[in-house]
Amino acid sequence: MAKLWTIIKREYLERVRSKWFLIATFLGPIFFAAIIIVPAWLASRSKATTDVYNITILDATGTNFGQRLAVAIAGDTADKKTVVRNLTPPELTQAESLATREVMLGGKVGYLVVNQQTVAGEAARYAGRNASSIPDMSQLRSALRQTILSQRLEGIGIDNSRTKELTFIPLDFSTERITERGRGGSGMASVMFGFAIGFLLYMTIIIYGQTIMSSVIEEKTSRVAEVVMSSVPTDTLLAGKVLGVGAVGLTQQILWVATTYILLKLRAPIMERLGAPTMSFGLPEISLGAAILFLLFFVLGFIFYSALYAAVGSAVNSEQEARQAATPLMIMIVFAGVFIQPVLLNPTGTIAQVLSLVPITSPIIMPIRMAVTGVPPIEMTASIGFLVIGCIAVLWLASRIYRVGLLMYGKRPTMREMARWVSYSR
Amino acid sequence: MLSTYIFLLFRPRSRNYMTEYAIDIVNVTKRFAEHTAVRDLTLRVPTGSVYGLLGPNGAGKTTTIRMILNIIAPDSGGIHIFGRPSNDRHITERLGYLPEERGLYRKMQVRRVLKFLAELKGVRGREADRRIDEWLVRLSLKTSEKDWGLAKIDELSRGMQQKVQFIGTLLHDPDLVILDEPFSGLDPINAQALKDTVVELKKRGKTVIFSTHLMENAERLCDSVCIIARGEKVLDGTVTGVKEEHGQRNVALALEGNGMQGVASILRDHSLVKRADDSNRFFEIEMAPGADPQALLRRIVESGASVQRFEMIQPSLHQIFLQKVGAQGVEEGMSGHG
Repeated sequence: MAKLWTIIKREYLERVRSKWFLIATFLGPIFFAAIIIVPAWLASRSKATTDVYNITILDATGTNFGQRLAVAIAGDTADKKTVVRNLTPPELTQAESLATREVMLGGKVGYLVVNQQTVAGEAARYAGRNASSIPDMSQLRSALRQTILSQRLEGIGIDNSRTKELTFIPLDFSTERITERGRGGSGMASVMFGFAIGFLLYMTIIIYGQTIMSSVIEEKTSRVAEVVMSSVPTDTLLAGKVLGVGAVGLTQQILWVATTYILLKLRAPIMERLGAPTMSFGLPEISLGAAILFLLFFVLGFIFYSALYAAVGSAVNSEQEARQAATPLMIMIVFAGVFIQPVLLNPTGTIAQVLSLVPITSPIIMPIRMAVTGVPPIEMTASIGFLVIGCIAVLWLASRIYRVGLLMYGKRPTMREMARWVSYSR
Repeated sequence: MLSTYIFLLFRPRSRNYMTEYAIDIVNVTKRFAEHTAVRDLTLRVPTGSVYGLLGPNGAGKTTTIRMILNIIAPDSGGIHIFGRPSNDRHITERLGYLPEERGLYRKMQVRRVLKFLAELKGVRGREADRRIDEWLVRLSLKTSEKDWGLAKIDELSRGMQQKVQFIGTLLHDPDLVILDEPFSGLDPINAQALKDTVVELKKRGKTVIFSTHLMENAERLCDSVCIIARGEKVLDGTVTGVKEEHGQRNVALALEGNGMQGVASILRDHSLVKRADDSNRFFEIEMAPGADPQALLRRIVESGASVQRFEMIQPSLHQIFLQKVGAQGVEEGMSGHG
């Protein structure tokens, strides 16, 4: 046990100390943050911009409609950029061409023409650079409506302060999509979550599986393996490697998940700093039981694949050979990866059910299903059961290939030779 | 205080318990696929001796060593180390092993590598640190100017890496040191250091077994040898014993000038000479069975050659090796490692 611990310790510490680990661990959350914040920030760009205030109002109403409109557009921010020009209808043509030139020179974003028709609630005209911006235009439209309405209310004798109160409707209009699977809003969050889980497991298995393979190749080519094997049984060496590297992967995931969680919590302040309005973002609630199951699938899936990677590493003589020899393994993992999206879209379908039972794909597919839908306990039990059996079988196979392969130098073995190694006594 | 005392009282006595043989191999056979690497091998390495395992490449040396180290298990037969089965877990802590082709974790700090190797052999904590310091200083890897212990392995020169590997082999003060082709790839300074180390280990009562195909090294260092070829033992015994058994039939012959031409026909006479090996400065002649060296001397003198040296000598291990194993002794090993 002490020696197993020595091997785990070396694998763990050497990797955690490496620059690569530090970089990946710190860049990971930045990457996730980018995924979370950038779309929100981009979404915020679709809100009305400050440009909407920077316009000229050409007021041909002969009333103070223009002034009131300017206040309505600016809202509480009381932006002073909005310019109001009062003029008579005949002066309008000349004023419009002047305003056009101003916009062309870049001083203003656009100009708004209001006249008697506007006061009557019939028509208004706007020309400007942001004419195609839906949010900007809708803000102008609602400001116009508010101003017209308040003027009408005043017309029937309601006083100024009351009209402000009555016409101020800061409505936050949130939208939600309905699909054949029901309402899309909360569904979207869990799909995102499921995708994140699946992707994280997929990447971790690939990255750390290959890490184990490289580590085995290094020990084999440098003959350190022989020295270690003269001190501990090969099974201990293999177990120490899988556990040590697995612990590194787990550490990284925990750090990633923790920082991402904190970032999500801090999302509102960050978005505020960026000047973007915050949106509600529901974090899916994860029960302790579900968390333990995610962890279990990660550990089992990792053991399953890393043992196979270790076996491949022991059979080859160089990284170049390994790349070729690991192709079947890569195909197995990518096969699981390819099904991440179909399973997300149809988590209760036959494909999803079958793939979450087969040990090759279940470590990635089952957690995704768990994230997006309820999985019947029977399926869950069967999936874990098969995966455990799969892990035992793979460990048995891998440890036999490993202990022979580590001592074989020279030509890369064929599949037939590797099959024969399995039958060797030791 | 008391706990220390109790610890000392119940400490395994294995270190003080010495058997007559450090290694006792009886009728061991190991097969790989269609190839028998070691066949019915029996050999005993006396405790406290320097033992050479000699043989051509592919003879089964490395396989034998791996079985002694319990890296692989024999198909049949038994191996005992200091009287205990080789798969006894505590035995491995008394063994030190230097594999044939050497390397270490390249990206790892020297001290950490050594500490790792020490821990695998049951030496931990402060004790490991103390020994590492001692060795680094002894092999001048740690001086007042530079502590190579803090460098990474791949920052070290090849010679320094070899030193680190020696330290790794000897750090836990093993009672049995196993070196596989230790002289291959060593620079002359490290080769001398290794020879000195072997002699010192022997003086301290340790047992050293090493494999080599360089007979000169074996002849200088070994108390006993075993020659194996094609996975089978050809002969074994003390170096003096082996030489006596196979010797005194050899003659060193040197002639003045370029007179060898004149005696060539005599050396080809198989009633007198079994084999003549030109060692450049002299011929090492193995007499034919029953032939009289005096008759050979007479023939040479009669031929008119001027004899500079005519001496009965013990055959070199090299000669014995060639005589016993011959050119056919080399069989392709399954991996090119014997």
